[in-house]
Formats: sequence, C-alpha cells, structure tokens
Amino acid sequence: MLPAISAFLGRLRSLFRRRRMESEMSEELEFHRERLREKYLQEGMSEKAAERAARVRLGNAQRWQERLRELWSFRLLGEGVRDIRFALRLFWKSPGFAAVAIATLALGVSANTAVFSLINGLLLRPLPVPNAQQMMVLSYLDDAPRPGYSFCTPFFRGLEEQRDAFQNVFAFVNDTFQVRGESGNVNVHGAMVSGQYFPAMQVNALKGRYLTPADDQEGGSPAGFAVVISEGFWKSWFNGASNVVGKTLTIANTPFTVVGVMPKRFMGADPTRQPEIYAPLSADPIIDAPRDHIHGGTHAWWLTVMARQKPEVDLEKANAVLQSISTSVLRASTGESEWIKDEEKHHFRFAAETGSNGFAYVRSVFRKPLLTMFAMCGGLLLLACLNLASLLLARGAARERELATRRALGATRLRLIRQLMIESFVLATLGTGLGIVLTPFVGHALTAMLSGGSGPDSMVLDISPDWRLYGFAGAIVFIAAVLIGLMPAWRATEGDLNEQIKSGQHAQQRGQTRLIPRLLMISQVALALILVSGAALLATSLIRLYRSGLGFDPHGVVNISFSMDKQQLDGEPLMEVYRQIRERLKTEPGVKDVSFQFIVPLSHRNWNKSYSAGGGEQHLIWMNSVGPDYFKTMRIPLKQGREFIWSDTKASGMKIILNRAAAKLLFPQGGVIGRQIVDHNKSAYEVVAVVEDAKYRDVRGPATAAGYIPMQQDEQEKPSFNAVVRIDGPWAPLVPFSKELAARVAPSIPAPIVRPMDEVVDTSISTERMMALLGVFFAGCSLLVTAIGLYGTLSYATARRSNEIGIRMALGAQRLRVVIMIFRENAVVVAIGCGAGLAVAVALSTILTSFLYETSTRDPWVFAVATITLTCVASAASLLPAMRASWIDPMQAIRSE
Amino acid sequence: MIREESTDSGSLLQGTLEMLVLKALARGPQHGYAVAEWIHHVSHQLLKVEEGALYPALHRLEMRGFLNAEWGASENNRRAKFYRLTAEGTKRLDAESQRWARLSAAVAFVMQSS
Repeated sequence: MLPAISAFLGRLRSLFRRRRMESEMSEELEFHRERLREKYLQEGMSEKAAERAARVRLGNAQRWQERLRELWSFRLLGEGVRDIRFALRLFWKSPGFAAVAIATLALGVSANTAVFSLINGLLLRPLPVPNAQQMMVLSYLDDAPRPGYSFCTPFFRGLEEQRDAFQNVFAFVNDTFQVRGESGNVNVHGAMVSGQYFPAMQVNALKGRYLTPADDQEGGSPAGFAVVISEGFWKSWFNGASNVVGKTLTIANTPFTVVGVMPKRFMGADPTRQPEIYAPLSADPIIDAPRDHIHGGTHAWWLTVMARQKPEVDLEKANAVLQSISTSVLRASTGESEWIKDEEKHHFRFAAETGSNGFAYVRSVFRKPLLTMFAMCGGLLLLACLNLASLLLARGAARERELATRRALGATRLRLIRQLMIESFVLATLGTGLGIVLTPFVGHALTAMLSGGSGPDSMVLDISPDWRLYGFAGAIVFIAAVLIGLMPAWRATEGDLNEQIKSGQHAQQRGQTRLIPRLLMISQVALALILVSGAALLATSLIRLYRSGLGFDPHGVVNISFSMDKQQLDGEPLMEVYRQIRERLKTEPGVKDVSFQFIVPLSHRNWNKSYSAGGGEQHLIWMNSVGPDYFKTMRIPLKQGREFIWSDTKASGMKIILNRAAAKLLFPQGGVIGRQIVDHNKSAYEVVAVVEDAKYRDVRGPATAAGYIPMQQDEQEKPSFNAVVRIDGPWAPLVPFSKELAARVAPSIPAPIVRPMDEVVDTSISTERMMALLGVFFAGCSLLVTAIGLYGTLSYATARRSNEIGIRMALGAQRLRVVIMIFRENAVVVAIGCGAGLAVAVALSTILTSFLYETSTRDPWVFAVATITLTCVASAASLLPAMRASWIDPMQAIRSE
Repeated sequence: MIREESTDSGSLLQGTLEMLVLKALARGPQHGYAVAEWIHHVSHQLLKVEEGALYPALHRLEMRGFLNAEWGASENNRRAKFYRLTAEGTKRLDAESQRWARLSAAVAFVMQSS
C-alpha cells in the first residue's frame, strides 16, 4: 500500500477511535517516563530528583499529546472548518453584500431547480417498477412522418400473445369512472388495463391481489368484474378499512368487486395520471357506456400499448420481431380491405422504443417548452454567477491590503486562493440552499399553470425531490462556486506584493487589469439583453394571441357539464330534462343567457364530418350540436337567418347552421339560406343561418369551417351537453346551484363540473402563457441582477477613487464633469454589451419560432424596446454611484490619506 | 489563521532520525524507550534522541505503514507499545541506508578536498 493511502486510512480510522488513541498515547508516554525514572534511580539519584528529572525531560504532557494528535488528524479538514468560519464572519460583517449575493443566487437556483424538477418528473424519472429499463412503448409507423401511439383493439390483441421478444405486452387507457357514493355518482380518475398490465409491472399489491389475465375476460371472471384501487383511494373512499378486499364498488351503475389495493409508490404506466381505480379492459362496454371501444374494431383508436422485453432481447431485436409480424396482425385486424391494402402499400409496421419512464401524451406537448425554459433558467443562473463574480472582483480589489499583508506574513498564494474559493463556496451553498427551499413553491406554481387548473384532463405530476434533483443542486453549487470565485481569487492574489503594500488602498489600476472586470460586466449586459428580448418576443406573441379574436366572447361565460350517458332517460324525455335545466339556470341571479353545446371550443375535443352541396366536392366541417340562443349566449354574430329553437326536433327536418368559412367553402356563389347540404350517408340538412367565424380547435391560426346542428337532432345515444351560461358577477354560486339542480332533475348523474370559459381558453394556450410569464419573470430578474451588478462594481470603483476625485474637485472640476466621468465607465460597458447581446439574441431567437404567434423573430420593435428598457435600467443603476461621487467633499477625501 | 508547513531546515534531520528508528527496529520489535536507548548506546553516547522528535517520528512511520504497533509486555512486565518493521518498512530502510551512504560519501569527498 502506498504510504499516502496508508496515512489517509490511518487518519480516517483515528476519526472514529479518538478516545482510545488518546489514552494509548498517554499510556505510551507514561511508560517512557517511568523507564526514565527507573534509569535515573539506577544512576543513583534520589527518588524525588529522579521523578523531577524525568518530568523535566519529557516536558508538558499536554503539548505532547497535542503534537501527536495533530499528526493523526486531517490538517486540511481543520483548516477548511476555520476558513468556513472566517468566510461566515466576513459575510456577517458586510450583510448587504451577502444578502444581495445570496438572494441573487437563490433566485437563479430556485428557477433552475423548479424547472428541473418538472423535467425530472415528466421526462427523466423511471417508472417505480423493478427493472424499469425493460419497459417499452409500442407504436406503429407508415410513411407518415410521426408514429402512431393510439392502438385499436384488434392490433393490441394481435400483439398481446407475442412472446418471442417480450415477457408481457399490455395495454391501458386513462378514463373517468362514475362511482356511486353516498350522494349520487362521483367522477374518479381511473384506468382500464389489459390482463398483462400488472404482471408486467411486477409490483405486488399492498392488500389482496392485482388484476390478472383471468380478470380481463368478456363479462369479467366467473365472479364478476374485479377492480384494484390505489392506496390513496382506499384511505379516502374506504377510510382505510382493513376488510376492503371483497367490498363492492358501483361503477357506471354496475357492481365491481375490489380485489386488491396497490401501494402508494405505484402510479401506473402514465406518470402524469396516477389513477385511483384500475379496471379490466374488457369492462369498457360498461364503464364507457353507451360507447363500446372493445367492439369498435379498427374504428376505435383508444389504447396505449407497452411491453416488458425479455432480459436477453435488445431494442433492435424487439423491433425486428415486431416488423416480422406486422403484416399478419394488420391483415387479421378485421379492417376494411381497401384500408389494409393502403396501409401495406405505405410500409405499415409496428415498432418499439424505450419506455422506462412510461408513456405520457403530455410529454410530446411539453418537452420543447420545458427544455427552452430550462435554457432560459440556465441563462439567468449564469447571469447571477457573472454578477457575483464581478462583485467579488471589485470586493477583492478592496481587500487587496488584507491579502497582501497575509502574503507578507508567509501565506502562500495557493492558501489564499483556497480561502477565497471557500468564501465563494459558502456563498454558493447558502444561495443554493435558499433556492432549494423555494423550489417546491415555484414548482407547484408552474405545474398548476401547465396542467390547466381543474379541468377534467388536468395532469398530475410528481415533482417531489429525489437524488437526481439533489445531484443537480450539488452540481449547481460546484459550478457556481467555481464560476463565482476562481477568477476573483486568482486576480486578487496576483501582482507585486511590495507595490500593493506601499500603495495600499490607492493602488491605481492599470488598463490591463481593468479589462477582465469589464468583460464580465459586458457579458452580463449581453446576457440580460438576450433574456429580455426573448421575454419581449414571447410576451408580444401572447398579447397578439389574446387580441387575435376568438370569434366569441369568453368573459363571463361558464360551462357546466352534465354527464347524462349513464342515466335512464334518452330522446325527447332527456331533452325535457335539458329544457328544465335551462329554465332553472335562468332564474339564478346574474344569469343573462343560457344555452347548450356538445363540444366546448378550444378544449381539445373535436368532431368532424364531411358535407357536400349540390353534388359538389366533399368538405370536412368541424361540428358541434348546440341549443337555442347559443349564438346570442356566446356572442357570435348571426349574419343571416335565425337561431335554433326548441321546435327544431328530429321530426321537423334536419337543420344546420354554417359559419362564414364553411358557407364560403360549400357555396362559393353565395345564397346560402334555405339551401340543402348532404353528408356521406346522403342525409340532407337545410341551412337555416350563417354565423361569423369562431375559433374551434386552436387559438393559433384562423378559424376553421364549422357547422352547428340543433341539440335535439343529435344522433348520439344519451348525449351529454355542457350548459353555457352567460353571467354577470361571480360564477362561484353556480357550483352548489348546479349540483343541487342535477340532484333534482337527474338524481343519478355525478355533480356537474363547472368551468369558466376563460380558464378553458387559458389552458388551451398554457404553454404560451407559461413561457411568456416565466420569460417576463426571468427578464425582470435579469434586469434587477444586472442593475445590482452595475451599481455594485461602480460603487466599489468610485469608493477607491475618492481620493483622486477629491483632488480633481479641489483643482476645480465641476460636479457635472465628475458625474459624466464616472458614468462614462459604465456607459461604454453597457453600449458594448447591448451590441453583443443584440447580435446573439437575434441569432438565438429562431429557437422560439415555434412558440410565436404572428410575431417575427426579427421584429425590430421588440428588440428596440428590449434594448431601451435595459439601457434605462442600466443608466439608472450607474447614475447613482456617479451622483454620489460628485457629492464627495474634496477636503475630507484628501485628508483621509 | 496562517500556518504554513515548516519543513525546509529540519528535513534532513527528520529523515535521518526516521532512518535510525527503522534501523533500530530491524533487530526486532521494540518500544519507544528501547529505541532511544539503543541509538544512544550504539552511537557511543554521541546521538541523543529527543523524545519530542522520537514519538512523532514513530507515529508518522506507523501511520504511513512502515511500522506496525501492538501492545505487549515489557522486560519488567509492564504494558508497552511495541513497534515492528513491516515489509514496506524493510524496503524503506534499505533505500534510506543506500541514500545515506551516497550522501555521506559525497559530503566526505567535499570536506576532504583541498
């Protein structure tokens, strides 16, 4: 063993055996003293003299032990602790500097770790199942640019028995279950899973058992349908009753038997959903009644399919196996033969990709915005570090004399750099610590903004910290400490000792030594400008998006969704219920208009149909079925014709209202009212009105061609409509009112979900909102940080020049001249920084292209506003120290020498 | 606050003492007192090893793995800490004595030159 390693291990051991080592040391010395005494006695000394001579020879026992102890202890450790204490004392003495430094860092760090925790929860964290790296997501490809992830039942069943490459192939779908509670039905997040789902997950149930292939049979297992519930649901719904296994849950008016409880850490295969109830896939005809996806063949694309690979199989092999069976599965899928032939021609094949972190649809939506946000956060943190580096540099210059004295007393340069680095390390740790404390708040605010509030599709994201987050924070501490400290420490300890001590406080900085601080400040200004112009672009785009005009007026409109699909009534009696709902709602104070719509615009639910007019071309039209007075309630202008009325029933002939875009598409020559259009079944509809265009699927881009049919003529079984209520004043009272109303007119339906239209609109552009809000927040922070930096460095610099300024003023310099002289220093820095920043910002802005709505990444106005804002802030920050310098009393400044 | 390593002038002496200690232990395990006595005796009472240097040297050698220490009974039946050369220590002693031979010969050449 190398001596150094042996010494290290010895010291390490001594850390834990200090007591014993100390007693051994004193025993060893005691033995030596005893032998000396005996020797002196033999030489003929008296007892007393021998005793004293031995004592004198060995000296102070305390000092001895001290020396040996020092030998066995880590010198660096001891010195490190001392340095940290010294650093803390220094910060305590200049609390302003410390507070600014720590707050700046905390700001940067909390933004970074918060966004990172989102990225971690959404993109990085593997599923909490054994050997998560074996999980795969299956997809199908043809010549289309993007793979498909939604499977139809025949595809999945064709793959389910595939055992060459996979241990299990399983499917699941997220859904909302109607569970009967004490007071009517309640909506609960759930998932329907295929038989192999739980065997593939390999997580055992907390109580009872999980679902097996035997449960996933048509009509359930012989004992009826089984469900497994989450630990959370067990606690909230069953109050954690120990005899929960075997109890009955009534879902969609059908009894299901609880056979097991899954532990809390199990959250399903989609990390953004966390279902409360897991039901077998084959229960779909009951749970989704009156719809039935199982028997929907190749017309119901509803399943996410995943697999657990065999340990010895790699991705390539799995893909090869999938490719080899693709055609046979496609041919066996019971699809129309024309479609199968078409797919085959376009190289239809199944594929596998790594799925260790499960499958979440929202990933594809949020990946790019999150990574862009992360880059912006990184920029802010870098800015904070640069800022601290320049502040420390300025401060290091002020500490020149202290450091020079210490070097004169024998401290090596390395030792001083170490000391200064420890100071920056302490700063970084404190800042990061504070930042981490703030992280959960920022993180939850961001998740809430992204997940779209209380909507039915809102996502659940676990952003609790784990080792990845702590590792990330540790990396930040390290990088920040080096970024902040190394250069100032290097600079502060170089130079000629004699010169420094002689010139003391008034060392004139030479041109070259001022280059580095200036470069730091320039890059700070440039970075700030990049962040500010990025934010300005995003904010401009968001404002334009809001101003683009939706075609309807969302303010004061509230949607109340009634789930009628599981109750008894249908047809005319159901319409009667809706009519009652409308009459009751109208009596509520503040309610002005009430109508119904099937699809809530911008809610990502769509419905389309093809129509043709006069034997012409077929056109795809986006459809909605609406109630009487719908356009009045939504404030969509009626251009010609009339609104629907209650008497537009199925018996009175099919009616349709077109928007302007659809009317233009179907009747380019005009003359629309009273004309007929036909759908692909040759059913004819009479156009009774033309309305102004309104956004339907997406806020971005122009309104699509849309058609509206009367709700009484809707062909669905037991259609569930949303009441649209235009209300003056607060909408909150509608929540208890509609719950009570539903209980009265349709007692078995779950409490209606009340959602203001404004929230729907906000959610539909949540990415843009988050990016713009965060961007503006970051821009504000970066302006603040830059201002602090410019102010701080200039203040230090002027404080050191007070003597010179005093002399200038004594010699007759005007105050204004002094102000200009000081101000000029920063003006140059800001001008160069802005120039450089502008160039980089213009080059980088193309990254944002896909987030911008009708805003050019080169928009000169946006960049001009960003530059002017930054310049104003920078000028204000630089003017203060300049003014202060001009108030220097010349006599006092000179006398202080 | 400032504490630098103070090695320069003492390094020759320190290294030499360590060599002497290793040499003393080459004859077999011994306790610190015996090491000091042996050096004193063998050097014809010319070298007197200060306890203040001896024990740090012993501990340093132990720590770096050149010596093993264990507690045993001394000749008058008292508990004492005995040091024993390790294989590393024997190697070190060889290297040190060669170095010393070269060094002393070199010094002798210089001092005898006219």
